[in-house]
Amino acid sequence: MKHRNWSSWLFLLAVVISVTLVGCQSKAQPASLVYGLTLIPSGIDPHIHASSELGIPLRSVYDTLVYLDPDTGVFVPGLATEWTVSEDGRRYTFKLRTGVRFHDGSRFDAQAVKFNLERVLNPETGSQKARYMVGSLRQIEVPDELTVVLDLAEPYAPLLDSLSQVYLGMASPTAVQKWGNADYQFHQVGTGPYRLAEYVPGDHLTLTRYTDYDWGPSFLRAEGRNQVGEVVFRFYQDPATRAVALESGQAHVMGEIPPQDAARIEGRSDLALLPVPIPGQPLQLFINSTRPPTDELAVRRALIQAVDRAAVVQTVFGSWSPVADGPLTAVTMAHLGGFGDMYPYRPSVAAALLDQAGWVDPDGDGVRARDGRTLNISFYYMSWGMMPEVAQMVENAWRAVGFQVESQLVAYPAALEAARNGDHNVIPFNLSGTDPSMLDSFYTSGGGFNWSKVSDPDLDAWFQAASVSTQLAERITLYQRAQQRIMEQALVMPVRDYVNLNGVSRQMAGLRYDAQGWFPLLATLSVQE
Amino acid sequence: MTNVLRRESHRLSRPFSTAGWCSAAVLALIVLLAGLAPWIGLPDPLAMSPPDRLQPPGAQHLLGTDPFGRDLASRLVWGSRRTLAAAAVAVLITLGGGLPLGLLAGYHRGWIDELIVRVVDVLLAFPGVLMILGLVALLGPGSRTVALAVGITGVPVMTRVVRSAVLSVREEAFVEAARSVGCRAGRVVVRHLLPNVAGPVIAFTAVQFGWAMLNATAVSFLGLGESPAVPEWGTMLNLGRGYLRSAPWASAVPGLAITVTVLCVNLLSDTLQDRWNPPGRG
Repeated sequence: MKHRNWSSWLFLLAVVISVTLVGCQSKAQPASLVYGLTLIPSGIDPHIHASSELGIPLRSVYDTLVYLDPDTGVFVPGLATEWTVSEDGRRYTFKLRTGVRFHDGSRFDAQAVKFNLERVLNPETGSQKARYMVGSLRQIEVPDELTVVLDLAEPYAPLLDSLSQVYLGMASPTAVQKWGNADYQFHQVGTGPYRLAEYVPGDHLTLTRYTDYDWGPSFLRAEGRNQVGEVVFRFYQDPATRAVALESGQAHVMGEIPPQDAARIEGRSDLALLPVPIPGQPLQLFINSTRPPTDELAVRRALIQAVDRAAVVQTVFGSWSPVADGPLTAVTMAHLGGFGDMYPYRPSVAAALLDQAGWVDPDGDGVRARDGRTLNISFYYMSWGMMPEVAQMVENAWRAVGFQVESQLVAYPAALEAARNGDHNVIPFNLSGTDPSMLDSFYTSGGGFNWSKVSDPDLDAWFQAASVSTQLAERITLYQRAQQRIMEQALVMPVRDYVNLNGVSRQMAGLRYDAQGWFPLLATLSVQE
Repeated sequence: MTNVLRRESHRLSRPFSTAGWCSAAVLALIVLLAGLAPWIGLPDPLAMSPPDRLQPPGAQHLLGTDPFGRDLASRLVWGSRRTLAAAAVAVLITLGGGLPLGLLAGYHRGWIDELIVRVVDVLLAFPGVLMILGLVALLGPGSRTVALAVGITGVPVMTRVVRSAVLSVREEAFVEAARSVGCRAGRVVVRHLLPNVAGPVIAFTAVQFGWAMLNATAVSFLGLGESPAVPEWGTMLNLGRGYLRSAPWASAVPGLAITVTVLCVNLLSDTLQDRWNPPGRG
């Protein structure tokens, strides 16, 4: 009797389990998709905050006046159907699309554009990034309901690129006025293919599909039929948890997979690895050209030639990231290569450069000195982006040719402070972006990120000329000239071109990224049948 | 006097347990290896060799290699010097601060006792790790400041332990006797109190050593110790953490080393405690 009882219970259990499994299988089709973010942004209002993480969800919430086509690199219509730029480069006239409605039902028109740009310009908004992307924009005119004219004090060549970015996305004036600058980030309303449903800081952010959306550029048109109804963004700050979250099915898409986990993702049948090269600057070490001993060109060159950059990249980033070959990554407009040829890995050359400059090691303690001063390098680095790993290898290489290295792992605010004060000889940093004008603030006298502390009248003049030129070819020539000078002066040691390793579940199809490389075009995503 | 002698013999009669002997032997081995690190033919713990990265434990690399191709066995042994030294220095600082304060408070009583106990109580209200992190933030990162911070953070507990041990013997007949034959306070403390509180204090010092090691490695795990290139158990653990799935040994080796050492220290201190602090005496 007892035995029979057991077996009937077992049978029942088996039935329950199999029914549950079948149920799970049919449910496993994610109408709702989990997308893993890597950093918790301090705020996500794109007009106010500067985080690049915020664009990952919000690129799909907002439309921009123009879009940068990720396939062709050409600006294509967004909310503006056509535009003209005056000959002197100071007036931009946009014709707007008709029939566009915000997620809250309000109408998109020229007044909305004016409202958005004025919000960005208004000092009370406290914009950390968007305000610096519009050049000397001083007035927004609205001749009629569907025409906007932007009037600039000085020509600003990167303006179209700026207007294609989420930081200048078009928000619903009704919603912004209703919630105010502080709370709008929780109730954002745009015209994009997804609407912001909920944002709980540090926990999750939910987007739901905006079914009326039909005005996007061609590359935003979805091809699959099973589009994703809901996307939930969750945070995976610790790199070690990212691949695990994908493998266990907790997340369907994940950015910034650590290289050591990427091969495993690639080898799995249920997951795919999608490496996306990021335009902008490579991971690079800025070398301070004012603080001894790196105020000497020979010392800066020695620092560079002592390091086997290819081995560093291979060891830390695996085979997915190219070795950087200039101050811009290879996929960036106006990229100039040749750094590797200019400074091949030659520890012997590095040693000879230092010998010639009088930095010698007569007492044989392995550390060079001159006039009683040791060849000491103050090296700051931050904890993200595999910088500690890179730092260890680079330090080792420098010690091998006779540098003494004092390295410090610091948090970002401390790094900013050290870099501003010039307490560093070497510090890594990089920004991403599609327009080479990002180099301005890094290499012009008094630039906000001028961590090489360079003050070169030629560079200043070239950058100024490039930012006001309306001729693309001329701009490219100027930026390349500047890059050549930056390399000759050894102001920076580029390490690796940034490649974002995205892991994606094979249940999903059509995942692609915008021209900035970081931001997914969620509208094209669909569930595999 | 007879009282004291009887106590001594009573203590010596309690033998070491098996666990005590084993942990003492393991600790001795660890210390021996640390001491002999330069002479036992270990590969250079700093030498990177990218082609050999993340080799599993095997004949060529006894415990495998880390993500830079450095030999883990060598880094473990060299790292033990730094880790053990940090814990030892910290414990000496703890002892140097806590022992005099505890003796003073316990023997002198009165307002000094009141003052010390209040301050100690306030300091004990802070979580230890928080206090260590605060001190390191104040003093700047580096293995010296980590040892100092951990040591300082241990002082309040040590003061309390010493004080309560003193309180339990200061009213004993032999102390009374010493005082009544005219011994000065200094002599009473050094000749009569100190030897009689030494047992529990030594046992507690051993516990404190394990605590100090755990906290020193935790702080360097968080990146506040030495530069990550320098072999140290906490930084090794942190480096290995990113490779848990692909190369578990890179974190398991330093992790097990920390566990085993702290476990042995704690077992040893239990044994010491049993020996010097029989249950009857509280």
